[in-house]
Amino acid sequence: MEERPCAVLLKFPGTNCDEETARALEAVGFVTEVIPISVLKPEKLVGVSLVVLSGGFSYGDYVMAGRLARLVTEQKVGETLKEFRDNGGYLLGICNGFQILTQLDLLPAGSLVENTSGRFQCQWVTLKNRAPESPFLSGLPESFEFPIAHAEGRLVTTESSEAAGYLESGAAALTYSTDVNGSFEQIAGLQDESGRVFGLMPHPERFMSQEDHYDPDWSNGQGGDETRGSGYYLFRSLYDSVTSTSE
Amino acid sequence: MREFFEISDRFIEAADANGLLYEPLDGGLTFRRTRRYEVEFEGDKSALESFVRKTLLDEISQDFHEGDAPALKGFTFVLEYGMKPGALDLEKEAILTYYRGIKDPGFELKDLKIRQQLYVFDAKATDSDRFIRDICNGAIHNWSVIQGAN
Repeated sequence: MEERPCAVLLKFPGTNCDEETARALEAVGFVTEVIPISVLKPEKLVGVSLVVLSGGFSYGDYVMAGRLARLVTEQKVGETLKEFRDNGGYLLGICNGFQILTQLDLLPAGSLVENTSGRFQCQWVTLKNRAPESPFLSGLPESFEFPIAHAEGRLVTTESSEAAGYLESGAAALTYSTDVNGSFEQIAGLQDESGRVFGLMPHPERFMSQEDHYDPDWSNGQGGDETRGSGYYLFRSLYDSVTSTSE
Repeated sequence: MREFFEISDRFIEAADANGLLYEPLDGGLTFRRTRRYEVEFEGDKSALESFVRKTLLDEISQDFHEGDAPALKGFTFVLEYGMKPGALDLEKEAILTYYRGIKDPGFELKDLKIRQQLYVFDAKATDSDRFIRDICNGAIHNWSVIQGAN
């Protein structure tokens, strides 16, 4: 019998997108387990292929989005997530999970701060796939849409030249097609050097099928089942990569 | 011993202050927010500062100010507000819970007060009443106003 790869979703107080993200992962073939941070131990990640930090408002976004989640994670399990990555594991951060990954120094240096609009923005955005070789983006076209829902999604770096460097190096795997929130270089998602750690502000789990899209006539144009949303292809790309590397 | 720390956002520019009010005021008044921490402690001051920097500051996007003086200049007034003593301050509780989990922090945190600092620019000094009315909740907040030099 085929063994399905296991994805663990870490849940902090205030994480609220773990259930739909787990459903999205299961739809492409993963088995999933949601683990509250309060019971996380390094041994819980043995045999796990993917750790997901899903969206929400961990610790009420107190101090700044992702800060307390980072501190508590370091306090509870130290360098476990870095060791997990170094041992070949994959990490995905969505929205608040992206904010946490940046805080944990698992992605190139950057911070996600308040949108230039000063408002919470909930809308669909068009994205540019700048890393077609990425394990997370290989199944997606050059341009596609995802929904966003965030107040602190503006990626900044200490110097703006750093963000420009991320475009050149390929670390900026995903960019907005327009200036959505003031992100430097319109960066919407970052990957690390290994390519196995990826964080993005948009919500792929909210676009798993045609029915999720605002246009009832939308189709993916990718052949096969044209009712599958772009989010499906992100998770499917990841599944294909995880299963090919574990063979 | 008591120390004051104020943290401001480097990349967030002054915005239209009328957006904070139920009815706009005349003029092009703007605002910025910072957060001020008042800490009572015993022990190693450098350990406290290290804790504050690690816990409360984002080195990439924020600036750190130490001392009691307002961190920003050129304001008409600063509305400083926070939770009343006895009111549940979940942010403070989250920070204290994290502090209690640290082995040998090097100092003892006796008390922590978190204050929002709303700097208002290009307003009239008397406008502060409107900001108090529309922003502060007398049931849970206490506040004070610092008038600018101009």
